[in-house]
Amino acid sequence: MWKFPEGKAAVLAAAIVLSSGTAASAQDDAGDAAAGEAVFRACAACHAVGEGATNRVGPQLNALFGRTAGGADDYAYSDALVEAGEGGMVWNHETLSTYIADPRGTVPGTKMAFGGIKDDQDMADLLAYLAGFSEGDAAPDDAEASADDEPESGDAAAEAAPAVETESNAAVPVDQRPGPGDHGNFGIGRPASEEEIAAWDIDVRPDGKGLPVGSGTVLDGEQVYFDQCATCHGDFGEGLGRWPVLAGGMGTLEDDRPEKTVGSFWPHVSTVYDYVRRTMPFGNARSLSDDEVYAVTAYVLYLNDIVRDEEFELSNENLADIELPNAGNFIADDRFEEDHYAEKDPCMSDCLDAPAEITMRAQVLDVTPDSGDEGSGGGAID
Amino acid sequence: MSDDDTMAARGRGRRGFLKSGLLGGAALAAGSLTARAEGDPAITEIKDWNRYPGEGVDARPYGTPSQFESEVVRRNVPWLTAESISSVNFTPLHELDGIITPNGLCFERHHAGIAEIDPAEHRLMINGMVDTPLVFTMADLMRFPRENRVYFLECAANSGMEWRGAQLNGCQFTHGMVHCVMYTGVPLKYLLEEAGIKSGAAWLLPEGADASAMTRSVPLDKGLEDCLVAFKMNGEALRPEQGYPLRLVVPGWEGNMWVKWLRRIEVGDKPWAQREETSKYTDLLKGGKTRMHTWEMEVKSVITSPSPQKPIVHGRGRTVIAGLAWSGLGAIDRVDVTIDGGMNWHTARLDGPSFPKALHRFYYEFDWDGSDLLLQSRAIDDQGYVQPTKQELRAARGPNSIYHNNGIQSWHVNAEGAVENVEVS
Ligand code: HEC
Ligand code: HEC
Repeated sequence: MWKFPEGKAAVLAAAIVLSSGTAASAQDDAGDAAAGEAVFRACAACHAVGEGATNRVGPQLNALFGRTAGGADDYAYSDALVEAGEGGMVWNHETLSTYIADPRGTVPGTKMAFGGIKDDQDMADLLAYLAGFSEGDAAPDDAEASADDEPESGDAAAEAAPAVETESNAAVPVDQRPGPGDHGNFGIGRPASEEEIAAWDIDVRPDGKGLPVGSGTVLDGEQVYFDQCATCHGDFGEGLGRWPVLAGGMGTLEDDRPEKTVGSFWPHVSTVYDYVRRTMPFGNARSLSDDEVYAVTAYVLYLNDIVRDEEFELSNENLADIELPNAGNFIADDRFEEDHYAEKDPCMSDCLDAPAEITMRAQVLDVTPDSGDEGSGGGAID
Repeated sequence: MSDDDTMAARGRGRRGFLKSGLLGGAALAAGSLTARAEGDPAITEIKDWNRYPGEGVDARPYGTPSQFESEVVRRNVPWLTAESISSVNFTPLHELDGIITPNGLCFERHHAGIAEIDPAEHRLMINGMVDTPLVFTMADLMRFPRENRVYFLECAANSGMEWRGAQLNGCQFTHGMVHCVMYTGVPLKYLLEEAGIKSGAAWLLPEGADASAMTRSVPLDKGLEDCLVAFKMNGEALRPEQGYPLRLVVPGWEGNMWVKWLRRIEVGDKPWAQREETSKYTDLLKGGKTRMHTWEMEVKSVITSPSPQKPIVHGRGRTVIAGLAWSGLGAIDRVDVTIDGGMNWHTARLDGPSFPKALHRFYYEFDWDGSDLLLQSRAIDDQGYVQPTKQELRAARGPNSIYHNNGIQSWHVNAEGAVENVEVS
């Protein structure tokens, strides 16, 4: 696991050595690298850090402190970030906290599509975590004093938060514990409160049941989409690299290589709303407001020519009324009526007219991992 | 180390020595006649492990496999997905035997990486069309009656890359999205009854706590019939990648429905048409129609050895064909094996326990004359369904169905014993 004092030292040292005139403020932020590792999950969809880290959607983040903005090898940065680097922007505590909190506000035109970390403690923890992979760049001298200031703040925090224990009754004296509930056969469990149900029950059905009150226009959605979705799904929903395609593919379902998108394949708009709200943007789920989800859903419909008016406003009132072109083409499971499942006694001897011949070999394609110079195969796992 | 320990270590060392001598001899058989004339050094030399004691009991508090088994791991096919967070890896079926998959080798499929959940902060909620919406802690769940059941779990996309033809060389990759373990859990029925199901209810929506918040519509009848809310696999806690601390077990049905990190089950009167039952896990047919709610995994089998990653290395003579068969509709009644591409079939020997909706192990032993082989296996389940050929499936569904490919697999073995994934006429 992570060794706390060094990480913190690195943050402070980096801040002092590398930022001009803003070092003092850094001293107030006690970052806990262990907690920062959890914060980094929001970044991990796009960035790798640590041993063997490579560039992914975003550049690798090793030896970040002291690195010039736009300075990772072999990564295709936006012009905006390269220019910022050429203008003298170097990554340190100060520059990182501003950029990560609001990438586009800090470097207009950067292609990092990320909502930003807003919580100060999260930011401090995150930077402490990242600093741990910048060790070589940090001056070791200031380590001791700062590490002693707040010994093991991480552990202290953990001790202060045993709240979860109460749920298992451990802290409640035996005679004050609730008896069996008057529900069910066993009286186990407790009633869920309305607030709790509302926090988790966000599913939406095709008939609109479950939609929250709200709305958003195509134009609002365009903004959300460019900020939060386009880095993976592409400006037109075409899907960058192997990220999923969201638009197009109309009329391709009977083709040799069908393209299944919201417009060409999906049966219901409710599914777009439900899915984006529960899990997109990938790497930062549940960060969009209900209205933003309406807006970006409207925009995905616009990309698919399902709606054509930029002023179109999608809301809980009209979402269930919009029909997608492929809705009528879904049928019930009738696999077991296929001919080959008809009752039969399988043949045991002399079953073929002529000896079996090989008609196709996997080696021709050679897409198996570890087989040498494998390429990419066809098909998908979905 | 006490004397007793030393004795035990020696005893074990000796047996290990004999055993490895046998293996070594087999591996050498083709090569070194001289070594044999002078005596096999695996026997005539005193080995380190025969002289020096090994590590004590504190060295491996959670045991790990022998260092010589380091190749027995899950593997990924990097070109399949954009990155490894929403991706899949495959069970090394070619290295395993029996019917139980070791926990660390069960294939993984995540949609937003592995959620690392503190069980003290995990809750299971039952809401929707129930008399009393309830919340259970993990401790609460331990107070319900438990059951132990062995089931296979197969991803609907297992063998999906093979719809258009032979593509991947290894049964790990062609068939490795399946595993089989013993689950310990609470029948879902008890939890639903605890909350009280309202009349008119017909569907369930299980939901995961991970960043994909996975959801699937499951018919209420299935939930009442045999679903489990499981917390143990093969006796120990679920692995994080398998949904620790709680997952839904939906016997015989496609793996995506076995929601991991299970945190909520909603009861309703209609299905929800979630992304994973519309955009994905629906089967596009030739002609443009798409089957939905294709839940059952059909009867299927595969020869795990020999297979491309497990060639025949011993030359001609006595040869063991080993394989797996399973059906989401019940138990396996029979497996037939052919070595000539389907001209003649031989009924294989089923061995080990036979549980419905679990993997079954089969063997066929024969004398190999060193000529080319075209190996196939064909399973028949206790509902009378016979595993179809890939040609039959393509004729019925076209090449873009992706899911539910249970067609008969063909391996070509050449005179050297090397094995390739092929299709035959
Ligand atoms: C949706 C994908 C995505 C997410 C999520 C994301 N980033 Fe980025 N990040 C990028 C991209 C793309 C760039 C390159 C920006 C450019 O070229 O303008 C980038 C650039 C950066 C840079 C500048 C690196 C350099 O070499 O100049 C830093 C630092 C950074 N990100 C940190 C983070 C942190 C910390 C998080 C999590 C809190 C995060 N990012 C989340 C995509 C992402
Ligand atoms: C970091 C990359 C990334 C970003 C940013 C992102 N997505 Fe995604 N998106 C994905 C991945 C990966 C999947 C597939 C996830 C899976 O396999 O379960 C996906 C799936 C989807 C799908 C379903 C596609 C299908 O055919 O089933 C929709 C719709 C979608 N995203 C919309 C959005 C929207 C809207 C945004 C912005 C609010 C967004 N995404 C941001 C990576 C991203």
